Amino acid sequence: MTPPPATTLSPGRPELVTSEYPQRRPRWIELATSADHKDVGRMFIGGSLGFLLLATVEWVLMRLQLAIPENTMLRPEFFNRLLSLYGETAIFLFAIPLVVGLVYYVVPLQIGARTTALPRLGQMAFWLWAAGAATLYSSLIFTPPESGVNPLPPLSSLAFAPSNGADVWLGSTGLICTGFVCFAVNMIATLRNLRAPGLAWRRLPPFAWAATVGTWLLGFVSVVMLGAITMLMFDRNVNGIFFEGDAGGSPLLWQHLSWIFFNGAYMLIMIAAFGAIAEIVPTFSRKPLFSREAVMASLAAIAVLGTLAWMQNMYSDPIGIGWSYFAMAMAMLAVIPFGLVLFNLIATMMGGALRIRAPMLFALGAISMIAVGLACELGQSAVGVAWQLQNTSDATASTHYALVGAAILGGLAALHYWFPKMTGRTLGERLGGISFWTILAGLNLSFFPLVLAGLQGQVVDVYKFYSGTGVSGYNLVATIGAFVLALGIVLALANVVFSLRSGVRAGHDPWGGTSLEWLALSPPPPHNFDLLPDVRSHEPLRDIRDAIARQGAGGGEKAAESQPVA
Amino acid sequence: MGAVLLTLALAAAPAGANVISPEPPHSPNADDLNTLYWITLIVVVALIVVVNVALLSAIVRYRERRGREPRQVRSGRRVQVRAAGVLAALAAATFVVSIVFTQKARDRAPTGPQGLQTSATVTGSGAAPIGTSTPPASQSANPLEITATGQQWLWRYTYPNGAFSYYQLVVPVDTSVQLDLVTTDVVHGWFVPELGGKFNAVAGKINHAWFRADQTGTYTGRSSTFSGAAYAADRIEVSVVTPQQYQDFIARQKRDIQDAQDIVVQQIQSGQTP
Repeated sequence: MTPPPATTLSPGRPELVTSEYPQRRPRWIELATSADHKDVGRMFIGGSLGFLLLATVEWVLMRLQLAIPENTMLRPEFFNRLLSLYGETAIFLFAIPLVVGLVYYVVPLQIGARTTALPRLGQMAFWLWAAGAATLYSSLIFTPPESGVNPLPPLSSLAFAPSNGADVWLGSTGLICTGFVCFAVNMIATLRNLRAPGLAWRRLPPFAWAATVGTWLLGFVSVVMLGAITMLMFDRNVNGIFFEGDAGGSPLLWQHLSWIFFNGAYMLIMIAAFGAIAEIVPTFSRKPLFSREAVMASLAAIAVLGTLAWMQNMYSDPIGIGWSYFAMAMAMLAVIPFGLVLFNLIATMMGGALRIRAPMLFALGAISMIAVGLACELGQSAVGVAWQLQNTSDATASTHYALVGAAILGGLAALHYWFPKMTGRTLGERLGGISFWTILAGLNLSFFPLVLAGLQGQVVDVYKFYSGTGVSGYNLVATIGAFVLALGIVLALANVVFSLRSGVRAGHDPWGGTSLEWLALSPPPPHNFDLLPDVRSHEPLRDIRDAIARQGAGGGEKAAESQPVA
Repeated sequence: MGAVLLTLALAAAPAGANVISPEPPHSPNADDLNTLYWITLIVVVALIVVVNVALLSAIVRYRERRGREPRQVRSGRRVQVRAAGVLAALAAATFVVSIVFTQKARDRAPTGPQGLQTSATVTGSGAAPIGTSTPPASQSANPLEITATGQQWLWRYTYPNGAFSYYQLVVPVDTSVQLDLVTTDVVHGWFVPELGGKFNAVAGKINHAWFRADQTGTYTGRSSTFSGAAYAADRIEVSVVTPQQYQDFIARQKRDIQDAQDIVVQQIQSGQTP
């Protein structure tokens, strides 16, 4: 396999064209039975956006309950069920699956693969996830889980959660995590084996690198979570004592295992958002990323350091002060990679020519809000500060700044960026802008008051607060903000629905991207590529444009603009 | 935008410092935690401002204009090493400062002159600094040791003389108090911000918290780890009184409990209660 020296384009090999072949079965059956990474990725993305809407509704309902002091709108049990459903929905059914869907759709295209290494395993990942989601919401017909976002035993053990809700939580989370493991195995194999000739690790686009780091991380922490789930299932159903403090087990064991997962998931969402933003910012600044090496190394460091800091959620527990300082050291060391990524993203913009289109707008907003959230998290990783602020609404606020910034703003940035590739149409620019500013306003209006309420001692997960504690005003503003945020999310989702039908048609490369996915048609045919170039640098599409410009001497700029694949 | 709001809030700091800080401290450990809070707040606000100002100025300065060609520059290794160095210095400084103040907050202060002057009979032994489960080798003055038992959804406090109270903890002013946190059921968080921090009671372990209240009065707190249905109603009230009032209180409480038990025993013996 010696590549021809003169050109980066090798002559096309005749292929059987299947994309125009009439379908024999209805479209939805084709989609449901497909193992193609693009179909599965689209189902993941569509499903996760649906659950975003559901999580938003749940959040708004909880905020309504907390709009005024000592509200009696929702019964405590109902609020706690809503809280538990919200946590599971936001993390396991929206944020992580959105990352999974985007990675599964985009990354095989970015690395020039015609399929994934284990397509049936990838398909199973989706259906396990769907089964998990169905399991969770099937509990609405009996008892939903009510043990909180992270159901810490003994609160989730049989003695204190006798209903089947806790079993449903375990069952659905178990199915979903098994799905994540399947996805991770498939993605790791794909990234190892199916990269286009010449696409060395160091030449991977930032998002594909983020996917490499992220899938290893997701696979690892999901297995840890599966272990914890299995143990709690034993405790609940066959008299196990893993988490029984008085019988020789330890409730802290669950905290360790589950926080490894939740911390890892947090880092996965950050890494994926940074990966996508590191594609968008250079493209819309028309400049290369300031330092690819620093960003790639930083993303890997975030995965390791951020996850190792899991005990920062346990400073208040009797774990020994040394372990608290260890977690603090890891959390503070993680400032270096986080800071380097932000530094490089902003440095990339310096000296560029910024086109502020919708993907860029969302990416910039994500950078700003993630910075706010991460800085607050840094403050709260100090042991002494966490003793005062952990589990106050301050913690809710900083986590949501970082995660809404990464998963919603960052996720929508990625969606606006790759939507033309997925559908052949661009997301509406106007509605994109409106939804962006609404989300940004809603996010700050909703969560900044909670920072202040947390300082007054309001704690998380409460179904009511008392008047005269100085937090009534903050909570009212936060509730109004939640409605603004919800409006923004609805507008963004409406934009997706409208644009599927009536978006402006996009070519194969609407933004002037530099990685291989922009070589494929929009949407790509089932086999993705008719022919692939030999990759000589980390910007294969720029090489192709340059080569065409050189070949068509005289054609100059015009040739560079034309489609590289005839 | 968050940065703007934060800066505005900071500007208003002299007027309402307690709007942007935890509730005013009334115990030496809460003092240390509060100092640490203000230091980290400065770091946090500085980081937020630096990132957002850099971002906004890049957006304003480098918008696409006719005739502007983007400079195709890439970073050298030196720039990245320097940036990492600055961040590492910041992280190291924050880490050291955090440890210094956290350790200070953990060091239990001895009882002051106005406090309950304890003898070995009223205090427990084996007092340990918070955050550890093993007692240190040496102790200066024994603290007043009270066991706080978390249960759904009320705290129970057991005093050295065996008396106990629910919901309201009564302690003498200016006295070094050590709480031994245990639970009868799920995880409960003991959290009274003015008296310094949140600590969890976990089944099978004993956790510790300490404080030395500097003023008589009532301090409110709340359970701060989700504990089930009535979690929001699980509040904490610490009533700080003079040593004499405290002594009277636990004596009366012990007598009342004993009386109540005697009545029950009598009723059982006389066959009134099955």
